Amino acid sequence: MIELAYEHEITGWTDTRRRARHSKMVIAGLVLLGAFTVLAFAHPVLSATVWSDRPDIYRPVTGHDPRISHPSGPTIAHPLGTDPLGRDVLSLMTYGLRPSFIVAVASAVGAAVAGLVAGTSAAFFRGRYDRVMTHLSDAFMLLPPPLVFLLASKRGLMGPLELGLLYGLLFGLGPAAIVVRSRALAVMEKPFIDAARSAGGGSRWIITHHVVPHVIAHLAVVALAAVVGALVTQGFVEFLGIGEYRYGLGNLVYNAFQYQFILDTDVPWSALLAGSLGISLLASSFYMISAGLRAAGDPRLSRRRV
Amino acid sequence: MLRFVARRVFWGLVTLLIVVSLAFFAVNLFLPYDFAVGLGFRPRAIETIRQQLGLDRPLVVQWLDYMSHFVRGDLGFTYEGSRVLSQVWSHLPTTVGIFAVGGIFAYLLGEWLGRLVAWSRHRHLASTANVGSVLLFTAFPPFLVFLLGYFGGQRLLDLRSSLGLDRNPGGYPPGLLHLLAFGLLVALVSGLLVRAWARKREYAALRVGSVPVAVAGFLVGIWLLGVWGDGVDWLLWRNGVVAAAALLLIAFGEMMLVMSAGVSEEMAEDYVFTARAKAIPNSRIRDRHVAPNAVLPAISRLVTSMPYLIAGLVIIEYSTGASGLGLLFFRSIETGNVPVILGILAVIGVIGIVMRIVLDIVQAVIDPRLREEVRA
Repeated sequence: MIELAYEHEITGWTDTRRRARHSKMVIAGLVLLGAFTVLAFAHPVLSATVWSDRPDIYRPVTGHDPRISHPSGPTIAHPLGTDPLGRDVLSLMTYGLRPSFIVAVASAVGAAVAGLVAGTSAAFFRGRYDRVMTHLSDAFMLLPPPLVFLLASKRGLMGPLELGLLYGLLFGLGPAAIVVRSRALAVMEKPFIDAARSAGGGSRWIITHHVVPHVIAHLAVVALAAVVGALVTQGFVEFLGIGEYRYGLGNLVYNAFQYQFILDTDVPWSALLAGSLGISLLASSFYMISAGLRAAGDPRLSRRRV
Repeated sequence: MLRFVARRVFWGLVTLLIVVSLAFFAVNLFLPYDFAVGLGFRPRAIETIRQQLGLDRPLVVQWLDYMSHFVRGDLGFTYEGSRVLSQVWSHLPTTVGIFAVGGIFAYLLGEWLGRLVAWSRHRHLASTANVGSVLLFTAFPPFLVFLLGYFGGQRLLDLRSSLGLDRNPGGYPPGLLHLLAFGLLVALVSGLLVRAWARKREYAALRVGSVPVAVAGFLVGIWLLGVWGDGVDWLLWRNGVVAAAALLLIAFGEMMLVMSAGVSEEMAEDYVFTARAKAIPNSRIRDRHVAPNAVLPAISRLVTSMPYLIAGLVIIEYSTGASGLGLLFFRSIETGNVPVILGILAVIGVIGIVMRIVLDIVQAVIDPRLREEVRA
């Protein structure tokens, strides 16, 4: 193999990376995501150090602080206050980020794998197979993955990992497959595919070395878009209380509402904001990265402005 | 053109059948609860009920049975014994009303603001607007509903009673003063809208013509209040307003993002440069040259996020207590009422298919290149 990258040549990846660095959306999304990652890792660290002498107060689901009345606003002992049941909101929120991150990773992986396999194979093999796959993708677009997610969580047997994978699979066979297929079709028209074929490249070689590298950036954008939907839908499931576990961010919001009505206390703003902003900001960080990358990868949006 | 439409409708029907089959297997896989099991009957009784409902047959037979009924427009019976179609039908108006009001306003607002923001190349404005609309789009709907209700609920009711639109069960016409006030309000708004539109499109005649339009608006306002008292009453119904406003905010975020992305994409095109060189006014380039090119891809991307919005509607209806399809869907999941869930999924599929076909036809009418592409 001869390396033909000249010193001043800007290859696709370098160019995209340079654009991404200039894109405010991507930067903002990455900063937000980083902050949430720190928060998620803060829980074990805090419970091992600061909270270790009073574990029964700061335990995420069953903790209770008997010294003050609840819900309470931010204090030094409880930086985000307590919810109507007397549990520390910071502890609940950082603990509740775990299922969210599991769903995020699982849905991204599921959407990427399903979209890549369905989209590239449809574009590569064309013909009747392509037509069947296209109709299947259309059907998956019309069968909203969030609703299937709701259905599946009712059974209470599927954890965050399975639910994330299910959402990813449904999203990947629907919107992701459509995007990947259209990109892959455009690549298949390029002369270098014919060149590779006449040089004796088999279909496996062409798919893995020519088609996949060209669609992978678009795939990343769609997979991140899948995460946005999966996270907000997971919030629904937790809010409706039909999931397998009871410590998600959506549960935090639900408890804040429910016990405010039952106990007739003030609106527990800290618990409400922590839960709903947690879901919303985590989802929006993925949206920003996805939208920013899409804009950054579009050569038409270059800096040439008239 | 007719052949194109016919083909599109035919393949739409094929897709619909696939959707319903997928929904059938998904529901039966994930929700194997029988109604009887949910009620906690004894094993013998459960067996009898399963037999009566036809749930003991193999899944494929049940599927064939369901599809053969579906093709004839029959969605079967709920486990309580009423027709699924009539239940869905009675819940449909609320959902469609919320979706239409929220969606249309979101579309208009988002299209307008997105265009303005992307065009005004003010750096901080654009990024602030983008971040704001991302936050709106990903906002957690129950929280949004709560905020709207908390800060807007009582004020909405106050506004309503100050307009003289209180629910009056006797059906008496509202007071004359209130009639006049409401009519004048409608007149003012419609007159201003027409005037602004005429100014933008440079129709000198219409600018004067806004006066008769305002008078007509006044009359229509009074007529609305008198004749459609119930309709106005429903529109100002608090839960409906909150639900529509929540959907509006979420959909507005997406529409604005999509539109501003589309406009900033189009701004780099050469025809914009040419138009500038011809000294065409800036606002005219924006509204007549760039916006129409940016709208079509924006709409087709909006279709992609439709499932997400539908799911949002489920939770919005749950939070506001508006008795639409979303609430029915959730109740049916809770009780394991499979025929109703299937019926709702099928109706969503039908609505989605119709929207897609209409969109495709509109796009093909506007852009002849697409027609060729589909034929090829």
